[in-house]
Amino acid sequence: MSTKLDDALRRTFLAIADVLIPEAEGMPMASQVGVGGEILDRMLALRPDLREAFLRGLRAAAGKPPAAAAETLNRDDPAALGAIGLVASAGYYMSAQVRELIGYPGQESRPADPDATPEYVANGMLQQVIDRGPIFKPTPK
Amino acid sequence: MTASGNPTARRPQRDEVVDVLIIGAGPSGSVAAKHLSAAGFSVITLEQGHMPDRDLYPGRRPEWELVSQKRWHPNPNVRDLPRDYPVETSESDINPLMFAGVGGSATLYAGHWTPFTPSDFRVKTLDGIADDWPFTYEELFPFLDQIEHEVGVSGMPGNPAYPPRGNFPTPALPIGKVGRKAASGLDKLGWHWWPGTNAIPSIPYNGLNACVLRGTCMTGCPEGAKSTTDITFWPHAIKNGARLVTGARVRHIEVDDRGLATGAVYIDEHGRERRQKARVVIICANGIGTPRLLLLSASARFPDGLANSSGLVGKRLMMHPFSAVLGVYDEDLESWRGPFGQTIDCYQFYETDEKRGFVRGAKWGAMPTGGPLGAMSFVGTKIFSDREATIEDAWGASLHQVVGRRFGHSIVWGIIGEDLPEETNRVMLDPVVTDSDGIPAPKLQYRNSENTRRLLKFHVDRCVEAVKAAGAIEIVVVHEVRDTGWHLLGTCKMGDDPKTSVVNRWGQSHDVPNLYIFDGSTFPTSAGLNPTATIMSVALRQTKHLAAERRNQEAA
Repeated sequence: MSTKLDDALRRTFLAIADVLIPEAEGMPMASQVGVGGEILDRMLALRPDLREAFLRGLRAAAGKPPAAAAETLNRDDPAALGAIGLVASAGYYMSAQVRELIGYPGQESRPADPDATPEYVANGMLQQVIDRGPIFKPTPK
Repeated sequence: MTASGNPTARRPQRDEVVDVLIIGAGPSGSVAAKHLSAAGFSVITLEQGHMPDRDLYPGRRPEWELVSQKRWHPNPNVRDLPRDYPVETSESDINPLMFAGVGGSATLYAGHWTPFTPSDFRVKTLDGIADDWPFTYEELFPFLDQIEHEVGVSGMPGNPAYPPRGNFPTPALPIGKVGRKAASGLDKLGWHWWPGTNAIPSIPYNGLNACVLRGTCMTGCPEGAKSTTDITFWPHAIKNGARLVTGARVRHIEVDDRGLATGAVYIDEHGRERRQKARVVIICANGIGTPRLLLLSASARFPDGLANSSGLVGKRLMMHPFSAVLGVYDEDLESWRGPFGQTIDCYQFYETDEKRGFVRGAKWGAMPTGGPLGAMSFVGTKIFSDREATIEDAWGASLHQVVGRRFGHSIVWGIIGEDLPEETNRVMLDPVVTDSDGIPAPKLQYRNSENTRRLLKFHVDRCVEAVKAAGAIEIVVVHEVRDTGWHLLGTCKMGDDPKTSVVNRWGQSHDVPNLYIFDGSTFPTSAGLNPTATIMSVALRQTKHLAAERRNQEAA
């Protein structure tokens, strides 16, 4: 069976992705941040292991109302829905627009000053722990 | 045996008879390779994986969370890479986690540096169960101190959970908003906490860069700031003249007519079978790989597996049952920031209190939760969501609500319970499954005990109290997480009696006097702590003894 992702499968994916990630709570829906385009190809290239279940789910959902198709997949083929959902959500949260909205700069480098006095030392927080005394059992004689 | 040279001796050639063959280039094997080569031994190490390429670690890239669920997942059965060997786990409550490569499974560890405490070496004396170690905390401490200075540990001295000790080689990493919030709950209850001690330096150290708090420790550190032996030990070992052969998967260890080890047969990365001869063989292949290899080395002379006259090879597997408590708070905790190594830890309930209905205890470590997919996942596995959930519950507006509530606002407490040794928890050879070279794969039989269940239940209940005390608005508890077998211990027990142990107090096989085991498989008990600090310290202790006793060493 072909593993090519044609336009019809992309449309099916986007329709289900919008069910899974709708416009709500001040956030855009999946299709509004372009998860069906290059991001989709990139996700599948990064996770080729998902491709089989992903395509199986889309083929089963083709031509059906997306909300009902998602429910059916969730019940009958959760691995397929899981693959579709992971591809959609991973692409969604890689979008610069979405990251801006949730306040996520990515896993960035933020070096700290190793010589700075820790707050928990300066404010006496750690001293309280020390003052409570040792809690280990020593080696028995 | 006498060592054949000095630290500047000629590097041994492949297939040449060497003083010492080490199998496995993880934390323990790397310690042995560096220090034995420094002492003048000719050393070859066979490692089934490869030297890590830091540029491949995904932490700097936006797809980090997606690939951490597959290519960089700690479970070899999930990664399914040719260099990994599969592990048959259908009869195990916990999946073992490991990584094949120079640096070993520490490549994917969080760098938690939690040496075993004095009581961990005296479980039989104190609690009347399991076994005492053949040495004490105090006897091991000088080796721990030396290893910490080679590893580049960061930490704050004065922890009342340990006997008094000196400074760590680098200052403690910041505990961040996550650590401060976690500590606030413990302070309200008057419970112990301490800034995390991590194998991650806060300043450049021994080839390591300073931590930049990226928070992707568990998929390999792209900064070269997490201490792994490919950075901290192998440059020294190679300079000393040690030879490292990667892509070399050992099939079995050979013995001569006297029952002495003569070396190992291995498959190189081109699929060719090779033979490496040595006067001494040291296995450092972890608590699953080491017994697997000994069982694979059965022969007419050793029909039940090499070094197995006690019948204990593969038995007493300990993997540290683990529960997780996710606390969600109103405040922005920037909980994607690193280090992923513990920000703070808590030993309040570490020691035995019989009134609790179980023996021994657990350590809690407070960790950040990563990116938005981390709202439902922990280290690549989706544990903080209901697999039976409806679309409406798991997706749709609920997804936005969950991410909005949890992302950046969460702390995960990881609870590591002491796993007591039981002979029914064990490693065997699977009759069907093989690795990519056709070598039989290990199979596990492992069940969490009643003591474990009671222990984790008690600790989870106390942890929830601490999370509530810190003001959590949502708490998610996951009991006995399956993908948490990072610590593979106990399957080749160390002890003085050959009838009840596989190796003696120096890691030397009771049955084969030139065969040693230096990894965590020799641990008589597991403590309730991340074991790498103790694995490396014990490896250094055993290595120094082997070097000191070289003139008395029987060899093939």
